[in-house]
Amino acid sequence: MEVDDLVVQYGPAVAVDGVSLELAAGERVALIGPNGAGKSSLLNALCGLVKPAAGSVRIDGRNVTGQSPGAIVRLGVTQVPEGRQVFPTLPVEANLLLGAYGRDFRREPVSATIRYVRRRGQIQQRLDRVYTLLPALRELRNRPAGQTSGGEQQMVAIGRALMAEPRLLAIDELSLGLAPVVVQALSEFLLKLNADEGVAILLVEQNALLAFELCERAYVLEAGRIALEGTSAELGENERVHAAYLGGLEVEA
Amino acid sequence: MPTRPRWTWLARFTGTLAAGALMVYVAFRLDEGDLPMYTRMGLAAIVAVGLSLLMGFAGQISLGQGAFYALGAYTTGILSVGLRPADRLVNPEAAWDPLVALAAAPILTGAVAAVVGVPLLRLRGHYLAFATLALHLILLAALFAEDRFTGGQDPGLVGIPQLEVRGHVIEHARLAAVVWGIVALSVIMAVNLVGSRAGRALQAIATSEATAAAAGINVAMYKLRLFVLAAGLAGLAGGLFSYYLLFLSPDAFPLITSITFVVMVAVGGMGSVYGAVVGAIAITYLEDKLRELGTREQLLGFDLPVQAPQVFSIGVFGAILIVVMLFAPRGLLPSVQIATRAVARRLRRRTQAASGAA
Amino acid sequence: MTLPQLVLAVAEADVRTLLQTLVVGLSTGSAFALVGISFVLIFRTTGIINFAQGAFAVMGGLFTVGLVDDLPTWLAATIAVVVVGLIGAVFGFIAMGFRGRTTSLASLIITLGIALLVSSLELLAFGDRPHNYPGISESSWTVWDVVINPQYALVAGVTILAALLLTLLLRKTIVGNALVACADQVRAAELVGINVRSVTMIAFAVSAALSALGWVLLTPVTSVNYDSDVAIAVNGFAAAAFGGLVSIRLAYLGGLLLGIAEQLVVVYGDRVTDQARQYELAAALIVILLLIGWRSRHEVEPA
Repeated sequence: MEVDDLVVQYGPAVAVDGVSLELAAGERVALIGPNGAGKSSLLNALCGLVKPAAGSVRIDGRNVTGQSPGAIVRLGVTQVPEGRQVFPTLPVEANLLLGAYGRDFRREPVSATIRYVRRRGQIQQRLDRVYTLLPALRELRNRPAGQTSGGEQQMVAIGRALMAEPRLLAIDELSLGLAPVVVQALSEFLLKLNADEGVAILLVEQNALLAFELCERAYVLEAGRIALEGTSAELGENERVHAAYLGGLEVEA
Repeated sequence: MPTRPRWTWLARFTGTLAAGALMVYVAFRLDEGDLPMYTRMGLAAIVAVGLSLLMGFAGQISLGQGAFYALGAYTTGILSVGLRPADRLVNPEAAWDPLVALAAAPILTGAVAAVVGVPLLRLRGHYLAFATLALHLILLAALFAEDRFTGGQDPGLVGIPQLEVRGHVIEHARLAAVVWGIVALSVIMAVNLVGSRAGRALQAIATSEATAAAAGINVAMYKLRLFVLAAGLAGLAGGLFSYYLLFLSPDAFPLITSITFVVMVAVGGMGSVYGAVVGAIAITYLEDKLRELGTREQLLGFDLPVQAPQVFSIGVFGAILIVVMLFAPRGLLPSVQIATRAVARRLRRRTQAASGAA
Repeated sequence: MTLPQLVLAVAEADVRTLLQTLVVGLSTGSAFALVGISFVLIFRTTGIINFAQGAFAVMGGLFTVGLVDDLPTWLAATIAVVVVGLIGAVFGFIAMGFRGRTTSLASLIITLGIALLVSSLELLAFGDRPHNYPGISESSWTVWDVVINPQYALVAGVTILAALLLTLLLRKTIVGNALVACADQVRAAELVGINVRSVTMIAFAVSAALSALGWVLLTPVTSVNYDSDVAIAVNGFAAAAFGGLVSIRLAYLGGLLLGIAEQLVVVYGDRVTDQARQYELAAALIVILLLIGWRSRHEVEPA
């Protein structure tokens, strides 16, 4: 994926001011920065929820700027949104199935349903794969998603995104509101997913430490612009990054 | 929103005064034939100003301004005629002084609004919309049914005396002048309100209720006040209406009246007081023209059915609401303002870019 | 009319009249319940309150009136319901407006405009007299000494079936699930790839068809007129409000209670005032106001 000079604004307020970044297949890249820096807006623009005011987004060289979220999903990019946003009254399994349903949705529900019914077999296979990858979900399959814990919901959200068989998984705030143990487990899972399946990961995170652990490269977004970029190792040493996001470089004795 | 500098306020104030004086003057110069519509425009404007504040700042729709209008009219009418409900006799001795009867109208409607508004305004806009609609329907039912008090449909409330102030009879041109004078006063009061400290709170509420509440503003109280104000203005207009018509019947206040007020505000601008007045004038005029059009036997070669007048008003208003809400949601006047401002901004940016500032 | 007076009046009446009143109330209540469910369906999916709901119901009735001269009643009714469903989808599309630019309050006004427009066209096409058509059977049943028009039973029966079917569809089919998803978390639904607009059009279509169904069945015992839509809409909203605008089950219950309450007022109210019929609607509305007042003490709705 390539992003060139993207500008996102809400009315007169500019959230993203000329951001460029790129991500190769199978890479793990992080986007860190303070609250309100425009990270979520950037992600939403990439995934088609918001139309950028200027700039372009390309997937596999193909210009996809301003296309609908459905189209983006069909091109292999799905988002795990901030705060999970599972469908609370529906059982976990329904949540997952909707992930598959949405991928082939196109324009209107009637044809989408026909397509869904015809591909039932495939979709069932995908469901089994997701259950294999995230066994805890199999236990919870009939529970209303709203009645699961935060960590479980995050799994549901990830599972739902995986049902669309993405090549790039965009995650908005993985660690928000979750216990460190849970975050660790999810983190390991994502690394494994990336290693085994080659699914690229774009992680938007406030927790810079987590971001550096999970991802190979990172961009630092401040006030709507890329302030720094580089490998996690480089950024991890960078003084400014440390001061702002990692709590100050320890002075070597 | 930046606070308006002193001189803009002064300019608005004198401008409104001047406009008001002009309207009052016009009242005396119009032919007898045009006076009724002119008066009705003024009455509608009074109601529209109140409703515009409610819709623009509290974000609530009242489909019952017609009910407050009717309530005000009947209050004044009954009080000034003097009724002894026991024998349904007109009893002039029980009659109140017309001026006091007039003053009673907004007080009563305001009180009713306060009672109804307390539970409703805390909830989302549609509850109030339906409840006020319900209010209008209930009131109509009561007006028809309790004909011992109201005279019902037939013969209606007859014999309303004319408004007299210190021996001067206020009718026709003078009444129109009084009405428009009150319009001007209402506009000034509304503009003052918007510019005051309370007005700033109202702006905050209009932008985002959640933020305003977080900032410690008592949102519910402000909304209630606006609702009561709107009801009071409608009641006042209603009282004046009874002195204009000198006769009342529930047929004069069908449901479409409430809807028409909403159309006026939707067209003229929610939250825009001047826009509301313009909307009132325009829609009253339109209403008259449509009715006239509908009472003709034929139109464009088609035979018009008996119900044509109603069809035209209802249908055209419906279409207007749809089109305005889709394309100019803040009302026509404000949308024009916004559009011109946007164009100006784009021009400015283009000239900046041209001069190499980008 | 005070509650003690009403209770007294009810107690004095004979059981037959009471049962009769209940039957009528249940069936008008069923029609209201359908309209109430329709409100809930649209509100949950879009956050829009559809003022034109009453107009959909009336359209159903009037279309049937128009078709019933040439077709058997059941066929006319079915066609009418389907057509209203399709029209409902179109209106829904209009009411949704422009994404981002049209607020939910603006949508409310748009639906009001639609209702007015539809009303005026109905007036043009059908005139201002009430209309009617024969129901399922000319003869009446007699159960326990109570004379019941079978139409009432039909309304109540079909309504329950429809409501159950709807709940089933929402829970078990993927389309239904998608609808619920759009209702609960619209952003996530979009992210997953669901085209929310088209799903909401289905919600509108189903709502319109449901309201029309209720009224098509009720018309033989009530009659329908171009301006019936306001009363229907208010009653339907009251039923929906009973469920807080979000619960289908409670909306159904609310509708039934409303229907019964209104009938009680009509039948027994004339012990207290001889204009009781006029207050039929007032009963509904007092109920809404009370409900809302009670609710607002327990909830604070988000803006």
